[in-house]
Amino acid sequence: MSSNTVDTDQMDSQLTTSGETAEDIEDAWSDYQFQGEAKLSVEDLDVYYGDEQAIQSVSMNIPEESVTALIGPSGCGKSTFLRCLNRMNDRISSARVEGSVEFDGENIYGGRTNLVELRKRIGMVFQAPNPFPKSIKDNISYGPRKHGDLETGLLPSLLGRDDTAEEMDLVERCLKQAALWDEVNDRLDDNALGLSGGQQQRLCIARCLAVDPDVILMDEPASALDPIATAKIEDLIEQLAEEYTVVVVTHNMQQAARISDQTAVFLTGGELVEYDDTEKIFENPESQRVDDYITGKFG
Amino acid sequence: MSNATETELRAGHSTLGRQVALPVLGLAFLTFLATWATTFQWIDETRTVLGMTVLTLFGVALLLMAAGVAGIGVLSRFGFLDTTPSPTAGLPVGIVFGTLWAFIGMAVSLQYIGNTIVYWGPIAFVLGAVGLLTATLPREDIGSTVPSAVLLAVLGGLIVAGVLDATWVYEAEWTGAIFPGSELIPLLVSVATLLGVWSAGKAKEGFGAQGREVGAFYIIGTVVFSMLSVLALLIWFIVKNGLDTFLTGASLTGGHLNVPFASISFPFIEVPFVTNVTGSLFVETPGVMPAVVGTLWLVFGAVLFAVPLGVGAAVFLTEYADQGRFTQVVEVATNGLWSTPSIVFGLFGLAFLVPRISGGNSIFVGQLVLGFMLLPLVLITSWESIKAVPDEYRDASAALGVSKWQTIRSVVIPAAMPGTITGVILGVGRIAGETAPLLLVFGGAPYPSKSPNVVGQFSFSTEPPFITNQALLEPASALPYQLYATITAGVFPRPEIYSNQEFGWGTALVLLLVVLGLYAIGVASRLYFRRKLHYE
Repeated sequence: MSSNTVDTDQMDSQLTTSGETAEDIEDAWSDYQFQGEAKLSVEDLDVYYGDEQAIQSVSMNIPEESVTALIGPSGCGKSTFLRCLNRMNDRISSARVEGSVEFDGENIYGGRTNLVELRKRIGMVFQAPNPFPKSIKDNISYGPRKHGDLETGLLPSLLGRDDTAEEMDLVERCLKQAALWDEVNDRLDDNALGLSGGQQQRLCIARCLAVDPDVILMDEPASALDPIATAKIEDLIEQLAEEYTVVVVTHNMQQAARISDQTAVFLTGGELVEYDDTEKIFENPESQRVDDYITGKFG
Repeated sequence: MSNATETELRAGHSTLGRQVALPVLGLAFLTFLATWATTFQWIDETRTVLGMTVLTLFGVALLLMAAGVAGIGVLSRFGFLDTTPSPTAGLPVGIVFGTLWAFIGMAVSLQYIGNTIVYWGPIAFVLGAVGLLTATLPREDIGSTVPSAVLLAVLGGLIVAGVLDATWVYEAEWTGAIFPGSELIPLLVSVATLLGVWSAGKAKEGFGAQGREVGAFYIIGTVVFSMLSVLALLIWFIVKNGLDTFLTGASLTGGHLNVPFASISFPFIEVPFVTNVTGSLFVETPGVMPAVVGTLWLVFGAVLFAVPLGVGAAVFLTEYADQGRFTQVVEVATNGLWSTPSIVFGLFGLAFLVPRISGGNSIFVGQLVLGFMLLPLVLITSWESIKAVPDEYRDASAALGVSKWQTIRSVVIPAAMPGTITGVILGVGRIAGETAPLLLVFGGAPYPSKSPNVVGQFSFSTEPPFITNQALLEPASALPYQLYATITAGVFPRPEIYSNQEFGWGTALVLLLVVLGLYAIGVASRLYFRRKLHYE
């Protein structure tokens, strides 16, 4: 069990893992040892919206095939941080990002990054369910189709390259993975906007799975849903972590405690205060501020 | 009740008040309908009903309404009815009644005393002041019933007494037109019933806030009804005048529907006025086929030109351009272009396009000019509807690694389609009926003997642009153009079959049908996209 706090006294952090070295102490993040390899590793990330700093020098490693929860009060920058991981912040013209995010060892802010490829491999699920106003089937096959992985229609079938069968397999596989197949398999051609909120959110997860990502980023995926739909999404997240690297932003601390393997706590000003195994964060956090936040004295 | 702002929780629902107000409302509504029917001449105003002419009956109805409304007001004021009136009916009501009373004073003094301001000025002023004070000074139950009851009673009394009847004519000095009583009286009665409805509606709910609510509801309802009536009058007038021409020689089974390549033909509906050419000497019933075809080609070409350009510009302005001074300037300029008079577009086409493209009037230049006119509206509406596409769709698509252009093509534009089509519908309605620019750049012989054969005239050539179409470079006729030519020409070439007016009305009816048909196509395609997008 290891731990680290990244506030003003981060150099005093306690290192109890075996094999710690001098470099470990210098590099504040290599000391948190988790199972598995780092999928994403963030170094000194600063984000500004205009003149306002939203993220202050955050560094953390995110392990693969696990659930990492980002918690913190509103406006603490956890969603901004999440959107940095697949460069969705590029879409906000006033946002400026400094620092580096390495994905499988490659810096995605290093220039010449292929955004299409990056976002295929790091998918995202948003707070409000946002299926396209298309059929359930078309929602799933939208990504692969646009990437040219699926070709259906008149011209491909004339050329003998019709992927209708593959498309149906893909739709079935993704909907099953997202635990939605049993509820919608008889109406795949119906418009997705006719589904309930929870079903729409699972459809969005299935749509994200269809492009075969390595990492799935989720921005408060259950905050707009009722408790039953939330429970389904939570089960789903835990299952997905067997194959994918999942990063979840949540307001709900019980949810973070239930589903995540490690938890990062952001506090006001875009500062990453503590990042550790979820159990440790919720039972025995290093920082007094995190303890106050978790016990409800603050935030 | 001592305090003005204190109202009982339960509004007063006097049974007697309602029992009087409801028949008054019903009577007012019936009278209102009857006045419109008379205006449309569905009811002959000289007809005798219950021993009276229709106009006299209107007068009696007004008197009854006046009695009922005033009765409720007075009974309520003296406490016989359980109502909840405000202390005053309010200044706006007072101003309305003051003005109406002043008009009555003016009219009566002009009629009986003389056309001198020294006489009618003071009388109008005094009556106006009395109307204003009657409406504002007493409690609301008097203020909103008695002034209108007096107006109803005066008008009704004049009609019943025979001062105003079908033979009465208002000959004004300020206009050459004359207003026969048979047309003017129904209109006056119709306005008076609105007052009656308002008063009776308020009275029915026992005045106060609820009464005002109901009064406003009835007034708005009747205004909407009047608007629809005006619309119906317009369409009915065109249909009535054009139907005879339209149906000349028409029969249900007289025509033939030929099956292509099979030399079989079925009996079919025959409407020669629509299917025949106009000018040939050998045609039995001259028709408007060339003009219909011309109009359809014009609209088709204009839409083909304007929609891709407009939607493309809208995509650039929303998705690519920085929102700022530039887009604002474009928006203002586009709105200005939409308000530019069509003759200006026509003049531009005549001076710039005609010499460069066809050297004379032609369908193609007509299509371009109408396309220019359609462009700003298509741009404005598709701009608005692309802006209204939720950003969530764009985010979701970007997060799947789909490029911006693909997102625009497969998510944004389909979602904006219904709004864009609405714009095209509105624009097509305008350009299909456009006449002024066509006079300058498009029109040929007003009574053509053949339809423009655009489809059959495409031919390849050895010099640029390699595909030419002679029919597109020749003038033709369009329905509004032909209508204008017919009305102004004086003599129709076949006076033994149609007079000018008959042919004109028939053309107008066909134009109306063509525009409605285009409108129906637009609405149907919008419905299709909305269904597809699950918006309804």
